[in-house]
Amino acid sequence: MIIKRESIAVSFKQLKLTTILQHVLLILMGVIAIFPLYWMIISSFKNEAEIFTASFFPKDPTFTNYIYAFSEIPIAKMMLNSFIVAILLTVFQLGTSILSAYALVRWKFKGSFFIYSIISLSWLIPIQVIMIPNYVLINQMGLNEKLLGIIIPLSVSTFAILALYQGFKAFPTALIEAAILEGESDFGLLTKIILPNLRSTIASLGVLLFISGWNEYLWPMLITTNMENAPIQIGLRSFVNSDTNLWGSLMAATTISSLPILIIYFILRRHIIDSFVKFGMK
Amino acid sequence: MRGWEKMGKIQFDHIQKSFGSNEVLKDIDVEIEDGSFTILLGPSGCGKSTLLRILAGLEEETSGRIFINERDITENEPKDRNIAMVFQNYALYPHMTVYKNVEYGLRIKKVPKNEREKLISDVLEMVELTEHAHKRPSQLSGGQRQRVALARAIVKRPQVFLMDEPLSNLDAKLRNHMRQELIELHQKLKTTFLYVTHDQVEAMSMGSYIIIMNKGKIIQKGTPKEIYTNPANLFVAEFIGSPPVNIMKFENMYIGIRPEKIRVTGKDIQKDNLNIAGTVITTEQLGGETIYRVHTEFGKLNVKTTSRWEEIDSNVNLEFAFEDLLLFDKHGERMEKTIQMVNEIKTLLNQKVLEMI
Repeated sequence: MIIKRESIAVSFKQLKLTTILQHVLLILMGVIAIFPLYWMIISSFKNEAEIFTASFFPKDPTFTNYIYAFSEIPIAKMMLNSFIVAILLTVFQLGTSILSAYALVRWKFKGSFFIYSIISLSWLIPIQVIMIPNYVLINQMGLNEKLLGIIIPLSVSTFAILALYQGFKAFPTALIEAAILEGESDFGLLTKIILPNLRSTIASLGVLLFISGWNEYLWPMLITTNMENAPIQIGLRSFVNSDTNLWGSLMAATTISSLPILIIYFILRRHIIDSFVKFGMK
Repeated sequence: MRGWEKMGKIQFDHIQKSFGSNEVLKDIDVEIEDGSFTILLGPSGCGKSTLLRILAGLEEETSGRIFINERDITENEPKDRNIAMVFQNYALYPHMTVYKNVEYGLRIKKVPKNEREKLISDVLEMVELTEHAHKRPSQLSGGQRQRVALARAIVKRPQVFLMDEPLSNLDAKLRNHMRQELIELHQKLKTTFLYVTHDQVEAMSMGSYIIIMNKGKIIQKGTPKEIYTNPANLFVAEFIGSPPVNIMKFENMYIGIRPEKIRVTGKDIQKDNLNIAGTVITTEQLGGETIYRVHTEFGKLNVKTTSRWEEIDSNVNLEFAFEDLLLFDKHGERMEKTIQMVNEIKTLLNQKVLEMI
């Protein structure tokens, strides 16, 4: 019995050591992740003299950066643009991916594997490759300088299709077969049986798609030249150019642009962590 | 809603099914009696579930035709076959209440609301789930879920009930109970039940007919008693019965004897009976009965008896009648017994050239 107690004490010690190590590591990673965010926020309140110093708190907090940022670019309008783009992208990408994943999983048709392969491969093609042809097409459609021009080429997400393909594939076939025996249609199967049971998967995916829609940069930049028509991410760029770098105002504008994501994050904390785990990202 | 047409004679007319080059059903040609409780019994992978799924319309046959009451339903959609199916994992819709689960099919059929309510409350009462109507499946016990699955099938008023190992997810006690409930349900409804299982105890206790399948073929069809006492071949004999039949192998034949057909006797052997001496290796007390494993010159034999309680290592005399023997040829097919064989078998036993398998 004594031996047992000793061994328990040893394992407790080991446990403590590994827990401490784990926590040190986690804290380190947490600092790496959070520090830039913190730096952005405090820098946005520093005046021009202080901005290049390493002070961890602004000595003389100022709103000038914000005032300048608001006067320089139409922040409210651009935020609205960002919202419209992110929400519509989420809706369209969810819609297209739900329908295509259903077709690929449920229907046996000639060439379905070929189509699935093409979709999978298209994930590997970077946006830079298709940017120019897409631009030419959107231009010919007269959609540049329009939010629709930003949205349409991005309204199908390969990532979303593949994520849902897996989700649909894992869906219990007996439920579907039971509904088929009742005479349920394809649309009914999707809307009354599959989707209600995959609500959390769809919600997680929706959150991810919203965030990536909000962060869209390269393509909107190509489509829009006028700030009034562009999402907020494009506006940020205007504070940094070859002549001057307005770090303070950039930080102010960046803080504003990250606010919605931060708010969403605080509300849906659990969900977002879930979705990162579920779809194996970051 | 139409009345309940209960006549449900099923005919499989030369059904064949292949998945690629793998032939899982070979020329299934069998009739299932109207109103019977018929069991499709066989080891896993024998094609019994596939046959059921073909009848349901969930799987398409490669060739052959299916009739329900002389009506060719081969080309019908699953919903137009007038069948209901109970799945192994119940397949209850997790996001719906018990009531909604039962109602689902009626809604698709566009049964008017008041008629729906009547049908559902009747069927929920029948399976004793009325007070659970507004619970989700996750809030129910295994047996209750099973009854929801049954209710969902009954409410459709089908000509044929299909059940795919519906009890395999329940624990032993509940399984016995549900077995009884299914028998009662069948007596109440008097509709054709076609029930798939690999459990021979289930088959023997529930079925009015058993169809034994192996490797995509039907081996034998009969009542449980026929199958047990008169197995068509070695496979059937060994598949049915617990403890399993004793098989003694000889160079051109197999001799089988059921464990309960062996008597443990003293020296007073009845005239014309066969007997072997042996030593008890293990005993298994089942209360009313005892199962002995007895080491003999012909191998280890199972003996099931109510008569005597023997100790381990005690020497016993095993006695059995010639008419209780099951004889199979060297291919495992059943052989007819002739009276001339008595002496032949007696000689075999005396020569001690049999070996157990």
